[in-house]
Amino acid sequence: MKETLTLTTGQGFWSALIWAAAALATLLLAGLLWWRGRREYKRGTEQELPFLSGERAENPGVGALHLYWGLTEALRPVLERLRSWHSGVINDYAGWFVVILGIVLLLVLV
Amino acid sequence: MSAHIPILAIAVPLLGGFAVPLLAKLHKGLRDAWALLVVLFVGACVGYVAVHVFTQGLWVYVLGARHPQETLAPGGFPIRIMLVVDGMSAFMGVIAGLLALVAFPFALRFLPEEEGKSLALTLGLLLLAGILGMAYTGDLFNFFVFLEVTSIAACALIGFRTWTSRAPEAAFKTMLLYSLSGLLFLLAVAFLYGEYGALNLAYLARELRGTFVDRLALGLFLAALLMKAAAAPVHFWAPDAYGEVPAAKALLLVVNTQVSLYGLWRVLFTLYGGLWDAGVGWLVVALGLLTMVVAAFMALVQTDLGRLVAYGAVSQIGYMMLGVGVGLVSLAGRPEYGLVALKGGVFHMLNDALTVGLLFLCVGAVEWTKGTRDLRELGGLGHGLPEVALCFLLAGLALAGLPPLNGFASKILIYQGSFRLSPILTAVAVLASILLLAVFARAFQGAFLGPKAEVPNRVPGVFLLSMAVLAVGLLVLGLVPGFFLEGVVTPAAEALWRGRALYLAAVLGG
Repeated sequence: MKETLTLTTGQGFWSALIWAAAALATLLLAGLLWWRGRREYKRGTEQELPFLSGERAENPGVGALHLYWGLTEALRPVLERLRSWHSGVINDYAGWFVVILGIVLLLVLV
Repeated sequence: MSAHIPILAIAVPLLGGFAVPLLAKLHKGLRDAWALLVVLFVGACVGYVAVHVFTQGLWVYVLGARHPQETLAPGGFPIRIMLVVDGMSAFMGVIAGLLALVAFPFALRFLPEEEGKSLALTLGLLLLAGILGMAYTGDLFNFFVFLEVTSIAACALIGFRTWTSRAPEAAFKTMLLYSLSGLLFLLAVAFLYGEYGALNLAYLARELRGTFVDRLALGLFLAALLMKAAAAPVHFWAPDAYGEVPAAKALLLVVNTQVSLYGLWRVLFTLYGGLWDAGVGWLVVALGLLTMVVAAFMALVQTDLGRLVAYGAVSQIGYMMLGVGVGLVSLAGRPEYGLVALKGGVFHMLNDALTVGLLFLCVGAVEWTKGTRDLRELGGLGHGLPEVALCFLLAGLALAGLPPLNGFASKILIYQGSFRLSPILTAVAVLASILLLAVFARAFQGAFLGPKAEVPNRVPGVFLLSMAVLAVGLLVLGLVPGFFLEGVVTPAAEALWRGRALYLAAVLGG
């Protein structure tokens, strides 16, 4: 039974059930903290509106493309280079295939 | 009858596929029932073969002999076509059968009649037959033939939506690269045939001496199969292909990629054994790292949900390559950590099939209801499609390797095995997983969260059933990984790690 539930990795073990028990304990602790919190919050009132510099936002939804804006901006040079590799031009793709073929042959023949 | 099950698993979908358009002429319901029956039969066959192989060992089936176990023709030469199913082949067959069982019921409802549903079902069955042929064959030329069967069927499915501009273009690119790959594979087979006068894998494995021609053939095999397995930097066809193929059929395309990876392992572990130096293993490791990182970065900037999942699928190829690559690097000394990483790589094939399969089904369900996959137009679907949202969330977290889901179970083995070889490998792999978590959090937020959106079409029950099967699968694999590791993954990994001698003995005797 123990072997069924546990994954031995050679350097330790992983048991999803122990993890689930720990997660449950953490959730219970979080629930306890929440329960002891302030009670002024009321659903469906202005308290639920996002605070945007004191302005009432008409459409406060954050779109998927807005997520990780900072990360993608910081990585722009890398991402642009990767995009240029994915050019959609079959000649480029065949060229990469020739490059890999060359590397592999060099590795096995030399 | 039961003695012929390995060949029936290939022959029934191959012939049954061609019967589909004929039955459609009689009655559409008859066609659908037939397609389902064929897939159920294949599922039962691969299950039977797997149980037999995992409990009783290797299964050899010879065509054209008086008895299916008569491997050697008079003169002691293995000249006949044969299927050799070891733990790894059976494991691959189970993955193919499982995804087919989920994909076909989904496809029967998903594919519109006016878009050539009968032909799509035929192509799907041919693809399934080709995949099983590649997994079970013990003959290099037959491997090439099945490789071509899968290539033709896959390309036809990718370009299936001929009225769009992108699908035929994706099919054309894939076809060209598949053709290059197939030609190189055939050239390698021809080199070995010219040198040893044989095509039987076990016979060639015994005879190979590491000559210049042998190594040249190895290089050609490697390049051909790396391309077909979508390893970076020759993965470019895969996101286009996965993104354009009808969602239900994308599952079979995932297995098609995996079976090419299986071919690579078969060539390196069984055919060549230890006849290559560690550089080849390091190449697999390096390309694995490159694949997972490049695909994760590219997924981060996708706006089409289908292409985003496609890049996520490509990144998982990198993890499989890393795990098995560490096994290859350490094959000579056979340290314990090499086997751990190898098990992780093999286990990840099963986990990837379930996880990526579920993601593609979710993409199909979203497309079905909203008619688009563009994240800029989607949002708020979680209110109307809570089941699909839950499945997408589960699969996204599993793909990113979060506990306690199945992706974590295989990744922890890969991380720990690769850490012993070099901590840098593990660091890069963990970084790619973090990126993937960001990718799927973004995709989930974009498609399912936000203000409530109109859902014009209800998701059919069969869609939910197919998704539920995969979702339960990935939960069970995550919660009781030891059961599957010992019962299914270890025999498959051991077949590669130490099973070469058994493979050769089963075919050649002694």
